Amino acid sequence: MYGWIWRQLPGNAWVKALISIVLVLAVVYVLFQYVFPWAEPLLPFNDVTVDNQ
Amino acid sequence: MSVRVIVRIVSELCITVGTVIVLFVVYVLFWTGVKADRVMDHQIDQLRQEWAHGNVRPSAAPGAAASPAPTPTAYRSGRPFAIMYIPRLGFTWNKPVLEGTATATLKKGLGHYAGTARLGQTGNFSVAGHRRTYGDPFKDFPRLRPGDAVVLTDGTTWFTYRIDKGPYKTVPTDVEVIAPVPRKSGYTRAGRYLTLTTCDPEWGHSHRLIVWAHLDSTQPVEAGEPEALRR
Repeated sequence: MYGWIWRQLPGNAWVKALISIVLVLAVVYVLFQYVFPWAEPLLPFNDVTVDNQ
Repeated sequence: MSVRVIVRIVSELCITVGTVIVLFVVYVLFWTGVKADRVMDHQIDQLRQEWAHGNVRPSAAPGAAASPAPTPTAYRSGRPFAIMYIPRLGFTWNKPVLEGTATATLKKGLGHYAGTARLGQTGNFSVAGHRRTYGDPFKDFPRLRPGDAVVLTDGTTWFTYRIDKGPYKTVPTDVEVIAPVPRKSGYTRAGRYLTLTTCDPEWGHSHRLIVWAHLDSTQPVEAGEPEALRR
């Protein structure tokens, strides 16, 4: 999977590495900004009230 | 497809899932705190700004425990209306109190149970807060002891509550702990009470921890910080 992505990237090794870093950062950003805030309330840490409002 | 390719894909997937889980733990343990601290500071700034611009009603008579609120404006859902200080949790510990206990509201500060008494009024002013995540406001909740001060200000008056009982462990369905005269609190008559609730165990949701307090004294903000906040 990762090998396949690496081969699809253009340019020499340095350019590929640079694009890879940008891709990784983009994935982390999407996770922190959208995926984790959605998943976090499914965990029990939000239940602090006595009437389950 | 050869076995080699399948093994490679499976192992890459495992590494990816593992990395995402580690990132999620970092998010829950660390990033929610960073976000919450920023948002809570913003809420407090906003409150102080509102108070500085005089968008508040005139303060109560000095020393009067029965602070009359002539025209109480309703708390607006999801909006901050007070700042809470608990010296036992640290002298720099101060958090905004917002109206309502919705999940989104509790991410921005402590939540006042809608339908319970207003600050300083007869009844039970009840507040919920996160034990863990989102700035860990009530992380040290079990360290609260009878006699500890819980100080609140709404911009015009300082309210000093004294803890009478707690931490008391109960189940999440025990709504009577926030009743006007809470069951098990030891209070027998109507009064000006405060209830704090959070979750227990620290990372779980099977139980709730409760403390109860009564209104000990009030003073106008012009009179300076109450005794309990002076070092």
